[in-house]
Amino acid sequence: GNGINGLEPLESTISDTERFKDVANFRLSCPNCSCSFDFGGIIASSDYTVCPNGLQCRKCDHLFTPLQISCQLERCIRSHISLYYAGWIQCDDPTCGDATRQVSVFGKLCLNNGCTGVRYKYSDKMLYNQLLYFDSLFDCEKNKKLELKPLRHIDDAHSSPEKLSEASIKVLTEQNRRLLEINRSVVQKYLSDCGRRYVDMGRIFDFMQ
Amino acid sequence: DPERYKFRTMRQSLSDAADVLDLQIETIAKIVQTHYDLSPSDFGDPSVQAQSEIHAVGRIVPDSTTTEEFLNMDSLALETSRMAGVGRRTRLDFTDIDEISLFCGQIVAIRGKNADGDSFKVNEVLPLPYPNSPVSTLDELQKCSAALEGKPLKTLVTNGPYFPCNSFDLHFLEQFTERVNSEIKPHVLIMFGPFIDVTNPMIAKGAIPHFPHLKHQPNTLDEVFTKVMVPILKKIRQDIQVILIPSTRDAISKHASYPQDSYNRKYLQLPKNFKCFVNPATFQLNEVFFGCSNVDTYKDMKEMTKGGNTSMRNRFDRVSEHILQQRRFYPVFPGGIKKKLLSTSNDGKKVYEHISGADLEVPYLGLTEFVGNFTPDIIIIPSEMHHFARVGQNVIMINPGRFIGHSGKPGTYAEISITGPDLENGNLTKVEGPEPTFLHNVWKRARVDIVTI
Ligand SMILES: [Zn+2]
Ligand SMILES: [Zn+2]
Ligand SMILES: [Zn+2]
Repeated sequence: GNGINGLEPLESTISDTERFKDVANFRLSCPNCSCSFDFGGIIASSDYTVCPNGLQCRKCDHLFTPLQISCQLERCIRSHISLYYAGWIQCDDPTCGDATRQVSVFGKLCLNNGCTGVRYKYSDKMLYNQLLYFDSLFDCEKNKKLELKPLRHIDDAHSSPEKLSEASIKVLTEQNRRLLEINRSVVQKYLSDCGRRYVDMGRIFDFMQ
Repeated sequence: DPERYKFRTMRQSLSDAADVLDLQIETIAKIVQTHYDLSPSDFGDPSVQAQSEIHAVGRIVPDSTTTEEFLNMDSLALETSRMAGVGRRTRLDFTDIDEISLFCGQIVAIRGKNADGDSFKVNEVLPLPYPNSPVSTLDELQKCSAALEGKPLKTLVTNGPYFPCNSFDLHFLEQFTERVNSEIKPHVLIMFGPFIDVTNPMIAKGAIPHFPHLKHQPNTLDEVFTKVMVPILKKIRQDIQVILIPSTRDAISKHASYPQDSYNRKYLQLPKNFKCFVNPATFQLNEVFFGCSNVDTYKDMKEMTKGGNTSMRNRFDRVSEHILQQRRFYPVFPGGIKKKLLSTSNDGKKVYEHISGADLEVPYLGLTEFVGNFTPDIIIIPSEMHHFARVGQNVIMINPGRFIGHSGKPGTYAEISITGPDLENGNLTKVEGPEPTFLHNVWKRARVDIVTI
C-alpha cells in the first residue's frame, strides 16, 4: 500500500524543518587527527571551518580533499540503505513485542496475536528524507538562503561560536561550489534510483490532471 | 531477462514482500505434490489439531518472533501459506527424526500429526527433488566442439576485494592481469565485485591516500574506479572476454540490493570486451550453464542439524544441496546482517552499528530462483569462508575465495578447464526423446584448481 489518503499533504509541500526532524546527522571523520564531528553545511561550527579552499578540521587544521569527504558521504548513504534493507519490522501496538525481521505471509499481520498491524521500522519515506537531507547539505541555494536544518538546538550547551554572516556564507558557497557539487552528485546517484522519489513526483502529476 | 532487474530500489512494500514469501511455499508445494504423486487431500493444515496424519509444506521459522539468534531443534516452527493454513505458524516436534539439517527460510515438506493442537510432531521429512540438469542437441554440441578447436574451455574466476583494507595497493591486480595475458590465457575471466567495497575501513575514516601518479586526483569513489582501477583492467587482452558480476557492497553500483542490476559499462568507461551482468546471473559459455550469485549463502546459512551422519558431512556440501533443493541461490530468510558492537550498558543492553547485509529486495526474490527450473552445470557463489570446489548432485559448486585475504596477504582465484563436448568418449549421457539430447556431465569433464594469486 502507498498510504495515499486525502488528508496527507503533498510531500513536496512539506517544509524541510518538518521533513528532516528525525534524520540522522552526517558525521565526518578527520583522516589526519581521527576526531569526528557532524557536518551541517556552510555554518559556524566549533569542529570545522569552511574556508575559501575547502573544509578544514579545527583540531588539526587538516584541509579535506574532495574525495576525503565524498567517500565518507557515500559510505554513510550506503549504510543507511543497507539498514533499510535489513527489513526490521515494528508493531503499531506499543504493548507488543520487540522489533523483528520476521515477515508473515500476510505482511501487515503481527505475528503476536491481536494487534492492529506492523510496518517497516525504517520506512522508505524515512530513507528518502534522509537522502534529501544529505542533498540539502550540499545544495548551494539552500546554503546561501540559510535554509539548512540547524545541527543543534539553540539552548545546547555545546552551541556554536559566532554566527557566520549571510554575506560571508554567500561568498564561501561560491568559492566552494565545485566541492558542494561533487558531493551533491554522490547523493543524486542514489536519489535517481530511489523509488520513493517517483511517487513524490507522480503525486504532483496526479494532482494536476 | 536483464530488463527485469532495472526496477527502482528503496521502495519495498510489506504486502509485495508477503506475496513473494507466500508464493515460495505454494511453488514448492506443487513440486512436492507432483514428485511424490500426492493428491490435494493428502495435505492438511498443520496448525489444526487432528487425529490423522497429514502432509504439510511450509517455511522453517523461529517459534518466537524475537529469538533470531541461538536457535535449535526445539525452537522451530512451520509457517503455512495463506491457502494451506491461513499463514499460521505451528511449533515443530522433531523427536522422532534422526537425521536432519534445517535453516530459517527453508521450505520443507513433512508428514506428521498435530495431536494436541499445540505442536506438530514430524514423522517424516520428504526430501525435495533436485531440479533437472540442462541438455543440448547433437547439433548444438558439435558447434561448441568445433569452436574450441580441440582445446579445453578455460575460465578464470576472481572475487573482490582487489586491494587490502589498509592501503590502495593494486600491484596484486596488476601482476594478475599480466599473468592472465601472457601465461594463463583463458577464454573467459569472471570477476565478482566488490571492486570498491564501501565497508572498507579506509573509506569510513576518509583515509584514501593521494595517488601520486595522477595529475588530477579523483573526487569520488566512482572516479577512483575509473582513474585508478580501469587503467589496470584495460590491460587485459581484447580477445579475453571479461564478465563482471556486481556486489551490493560495491560503491560503483547505485543499485544496493539483491537481486541487483548490472554495473553500467559505459559510465564506468570499461572497454568492449567487458560484459556487465546482473546479480544473480545465469549464462552459457558454449554448452555449459553457469549460475553466478554474489551474496554469501555459505556464510549466512546457519544450519541446525541433528544426527551423526548429517553433522559428519562437509558443511559446504550440505549448504550446496540446500541451494539446489530450494532452487534459489540465496534461500536464507531473513537475510544475513553484519553489525558492530558499539557499547554494552550496565544492564547488559547492547548497542550495535549496522555495517552491511544480504540487502534482500524481497518483492523481487523471484529473480533469484533458478532460471527455467533447471540447475546450472556450475554454480559460483563467492564466500568469506574457506575457498573450495566440490561436486554435489552432479553440479560443480565453487567458492574462489577472496582475491586479497583479510590480512592483506595474497588470496586465491579459481581456474576451470572443461574439455570440449566429445560424443565419442562416452562422457555425455543420451536422453531419449523425439529429438535426442545430451546431458552435459560437466562434472566429469571439468578440472577446477584454486590457485594463489
Ligand atoms: Zn583533524
Ligand atoms: Zn579532526
Ligand atoms: Zn503486535
